[in-house]
Amino acid sequence: MAAPAYPGWVTRWVSGQWRNKKRPPTLRPPRALALADKVANRREQSTEATCITEMSVMMACWKRNDFNDAPCAEEIRTFYDCVAKAEKERKNQNEDTLSSRGNLPSSKVNKLLKRFPQITRYV
Amino acid sequence: MAAPSAAGLGRRLRAWLPRIMPVRWSRYNPSYLEPEVKKESHQKPLEELTEEEREQMELKAVRPIKAAPPSLSSSVFSDPMISKFTNMMMKSGNKVLARSLMSQTLEAIKRKQLEKYHKAPENEKETIECNPYVIFHQALKNCQPIIGLSNITRGGKTYQVPVPLTDNRKRFLAMKWLITECRENKHRRTLMPEKLSQELLLAFNNEGPVIKRKHVLHKMAEANRAYAHFRWW
Repeated sequence: MAAPAYPGWVTRWVSGQWRNKKRPPTLRPPRALALADKVANRREQSTEATCITEMSVMMACWKRNDFNDAPCAEEIRTFYDCVAKAEKERKNQNEDTLSSRGNLPSSKVNKLLKRFPQITRYV
Repeated sequence: MAAPSAAGLGRRLRAWLPRIMPVRWSRYNPSYLEPEVKKESHQKPLEELTEEEREQMELKAVRPIKAAPPSLSSSVFSDPMISKFTNMMMKSGNKVLARSLMSQTLEAIKRKQLEKYHKAPENEKETIECNPYVIFHQALKNCQPIIGLSNITRGGKTYQVPVPLTDNRKRFLAMKWLITECRENKHRRTLMPEKLSQELLLAFNNEGPVIKRKHVLHKMAEANRAYAHFRWW
């Protein structure tokens, strides 16, 4: 009789390849296992609105005094000061330092990484 | 078929001729310095200048200086706010007419206030303000809104969010409201200086339709104060 035609996995198993560690790779990475030179684009969390307390205090004063500006001069002054301070803060914050939350937005991270890329080969 | 290609051609032509097409910003070399118009700064003796002023003088000796625009004047009578107001009143570049209207307005204010002054009893005479420039500035200050509304779209719906305004924007709104009020809501046959002087005097006393419009804006901002958190600046 001709040799019986066993399925391929049977022959491979019997030959002891699996036990000799000749198996297909457990990991088949779709991409190279190295750090890329960019990060994914993340939606940056927007900052909160500034000067809301001063604004609400001023509006309460307006409601009491029928929207005249003369009795509310103090509240209006504090509101203006707060707005000026927030504007200065916004102007002064350097783009390359961390934001108020301690994060760098992904665009800036990508710029930095492009300047200092991963070295893939030594010449 | 022809319209999009014509627009695209125009845009491409403009990109190709960056120096020939008219642009809105200034085309001076960045090394050009601003002209100094105030007489006092030129009459200061050399010893009184501080370090940085001395450096500035030395810089001016080597760098070219931009031409002074015709609206910039070293006269004691020139006022930047009045110039801005005149420019906003101007139509089709007729600065002569706008300037004459402005001077007639100031004269009308002075006349009205003098009339009131001479008719008033002795004890009230000091309270009447006769300087038209003071009245103009105070009226503008009273008309300036403190908080504005801006449209912010969230989730498909547009909300009116109360927002602080910059100084320039406040001044612009005050002047714009005054001028539109005079142009649109008055009798056809009254002349502009007459209407403007009336509006300015009302605004000086915190009355009148422009002040009412400011209050309406404040009320709307107050009604929408719940949306103030939609701001991100």
